[in-house]
Amino acid sequence: MPEVELKNVVKTFDKGRITAVDHIDLHVRDREYLTLLGPSGCGKTTTLRMIAGLELPDEGEISIGDKLVSNLPPEYRDIGYVFQEYALFPHMDVWNNVTYGPRVKGWQEEKSDRIGREMLEMVRLFERADAFPSELSGGMRQRVALARALSSGAKLLLLDEPLGALDAKIRTDLRYEIRRLVKDLRLTAIHVTHDQAEAMAISDRIAVMRKGKILQVGTPQELYLTPQHIFVANFVGESNFLEGYVVDRAESKLTVELRGGISVMSLNKDHKKGEKVVVAIRPEVLSIHKGKKSGVNSIFGSIEAFRFEGNNVRYEIRLQNEDLLVVVRPALMGEWMDVREKVTVAFPVEKSFVFSYPERGLRTELALE
Amino acid sequence: MTIFSEPKGKQNLLSRIGVSATVASLIVFVFLPSFFLISFTFTRWPEVYNEVFANPLIGDTNWIEIQKYLGLSLRLAIFAVAIDLIFGIPLAYILARKKFWGKGFLEDLITFTLVIPTSGFGFATLIAWTTISGIGALFGRGIVETNYLIPGFNVPVIMLLVHIALTFPYIVKTLKAKLEDMSTLFEQASGTLGASPLTTFRKILFPLTIPAIFSGAVMAFARSLGETGATLVVQSVFTTAPIAVISWVSQFKFGPAAFLGSLLIIVASAIILPVEFILQKRGVSTFSFFSALNIEKRLLKVEDFASRKLSRLRDAIIILFIVIVVVVPIFVVLNSVALSWSSDPNTGKVTESVVYQLFGPSNYFSALLDATLVSFSSAGIATYIAACIAIPTVFLIERYRFGRFLRALLRIPLIVPTSALGLSILLLWGPGGLRLADPGIWLIILTHIVFSVPVVVEPMLATFEGSDIPLYEEASRTLGANPYNTVESVALPLSALRIDLPDCNLICSPYDFQKGDH
Repeated sequence: MPEVELKNVVKTFDKGRITAVDHIDLHVRDREYLTLLGPSGCGKTTTLRMIAGLELPDEGEISIGDKLVSNLPPEYRDIGYVFQEYALFPHMDVWNNVTYGPRVKGWQEEKSDRIGREMLEMVRLFERADAFPSELSGGMRQRVALARALSSGAKLLLLDEPLGALDAKIRTDLRYEIRRLVKDLRLTAIHVTHDQAEAMAISDRIAVMRKGKILQVGTPQELYLTPQHIFVANFVGESNFLEGYVVDRAESKLTVELRGGISVMSLNKDHKKGEKVVVAIRPEVLSIHKGKKSGVNSIFGSIEAFRFEGNNVRYEIRLQNEDLLVVVRPALMGEWMDVREKVTVAFPVEKSFVFSYPERGLRTELALE
Repeated sequence: MTIFSEPKGKQNLLSRIGVSATVASLIVFVFLPSFFLISFTFTRWPEVYNEVFANPLIGDTNWIEIQKYLGLSLRLAIFAVAIDLIFGIPLAYILARKKFWGKGFLEDLITFTLVIPTSGFGFATLIAWTTISGIGALFGRGIVETNYLIPGFNVPVIMLLVHIALTFPYIVKTLKAKLEDMSTLFEQASGTLGASPLTTFRKILFPLTIPAIFSGAVMAFARSLGETGATLVVQSVFTTAPIAVISWVSQFKFGPAAFLGSLLIIVASAIILPVEFILQKRGVSTFSFFSALNIEKRLLKVEDFASRKLSRLRDAIIILFIVIVVVVPIFVVLNSVALSWSSDPNTGKVTESVVYQLFGPSNYFSALLDATLVSFSSAGIATYIAACIAIPTVFLIERYRFGRFLRALLRIPLIVPTSALGLSILLLWGPGGLRLADPGIWLIILTHIVFSVPVVVEPMLATFEGSDIPLYEEASRTLGANPYNTVESVALPLSALRIDLPDCNLICSPYDFQKGDH
């Protein structure tokens, strides 16, 4: 039932001097788990707060279900909102926090009690109902906050960096718990985070935002496998970027000449001959071989740095044209190579992406802030 | 508890001297005067008893009168504080949470009654409401007679108006500061859970700010109980306890004056301290009060309706309140000065003009100038000495275990009515006591020090507790600064920021007892 629709929404602060959200359109489907992903200051939290009614848009329309809510205060939007800082009322115990929504909505006492109990059982904290927020751990507090947001019966759950203040291990546990709850209760959820691993793990779809705009919306796989924007290629997953010019374009393939006359091939995506482009290659698709080997997309270089990361090993390879490539390989697959070893790196034609060279320069386009 | 816990060697000696000197000065300048009146009453009990209860001529008339005066003072204070709360709480909320045009001006207006001499303000209120030169000009007669009483409660209307004007800023200021320090997160959370702004206020903001509201109310209550300057001007046929103290002193009847003064101190402490102690300790959790009455649901509906439809009305009522208690008196008095500047508006006589009176043969201007200079210099000296005592006191309270006790004791000078305090000082240091000073500027300074110390200490403590000062202190220590350098360069500048305007005004404002002395 609760679909969320944003049409041409704009929000500025400081008398228009700062544009937080810049003409965005977004459609969130019913019962979908959508994540707004982006670096800090990209406008994702502002977008969420506008959906909640905690900020009002300067322009554009926001609707929840079939109701236009653009200028409605939060109490009339029928939403659940989870704050990064929990925002549990410090003067109320867990029980009173969780049943706050039903009580201020004037529901029957039995109904409030039943829902409070159900929600607390759902987050496995019913036995802590008498505790005050200050007596709970961070993870528990966030579970109470979740139960509180859910107990007001809202079908739309908004989560503002809900795991941001938690320890790494608890983060991973809790993120799956949140997804499970959302799916069990058949809710629509919009989740804000700057952590791409978290977004990948829990979302049905992800909207990647940067500087107030949505760059791409898609499933985690789509964003990873077919990024439409050079920023997305870098922010969702990781990428090597090699600058060059298109020297040849066949029906399905494109030949790009990098610095130092190295040629690589990629899939054709409407780039003109002579155009300046950037080839993006994920570190994990690169294979690495000792010595010099020839072949398509094989580049010769030497290992400049080696790092052991636990499950992976990471090499930094200085190519013969002085460009630097990062290669990530599973730590337990194949033998590890030493620094200064001469190697050939290679990648399959269909696993690289070509983007037009950004007008404002590559660094600016990839910058997080 | 961090940096002074274990001072060593030379620092140990220095710190002991510092602590002893601070404690000694607190005792001599603050605590002794606050309690002396009570001990005076006890040590001279037979004399006091004869004067109050068994006077050979008038019997226990004085006792009956004391009950009457005290009753009026208490009714007045309770009434004033109740009205302060009704208007002050929403006002503080609006000032802390809303942005609107003219907000700065509104804040200045609220502070205004703390800044101006109270007797002047009393006079302004008097002519504004009771004479034909004020609002009465519109109707051809005064609006309020000075002897009008609120039916049933027997509180004089004009006196109540003055007391409200002089006390409501305490509630507004304290609550506003507390709200500004508090994040809006809880309000947002409550809104997303479906509560209207008014419900949010009742269930979230009010319980969380109760200590601030209460400490504002305590100050307002104490201020009203001790208010003398403005009350004298508008008293008409009524006498409040502080005025009675002063008139008895001026007739050298120290017995009943000391007894009534002691009663004021005891009553104020008995009402204020226990409640404050409970509230500070436990806070207030959710109330089931309304749901127990089965009106919770109706209340929620009313709050929802009022939040949506009546916020304009609320704003209008609050503006009207400020206009009545503050703006009208000030405007009227300025207006009459302007009208009578060069000649009397009714008779046209130049000799009755403001200019003639000030600079003519009677030369009131120089008298006025002298009085103002005395007020300012005494307030300046008192503030300086008070700050010298208060700053080390803040550190004692923060660092030492007996600090909490010290802090509780420091509430007492705040709630001792100023006229009782003045009498206490007079009896302690004056000609009838230790003979260290004659009535005059030195006694005024000594009086002001007593209540200025806690007034400086409290906001500094509030800054300390609500801030990251301990964190900055630790940073300073890790960078190699010793405890004294740290206090001097980090803690002191950060906490001193809070000794702000209204507090200094409080120090300067009550010249109450000065009147009584002469």
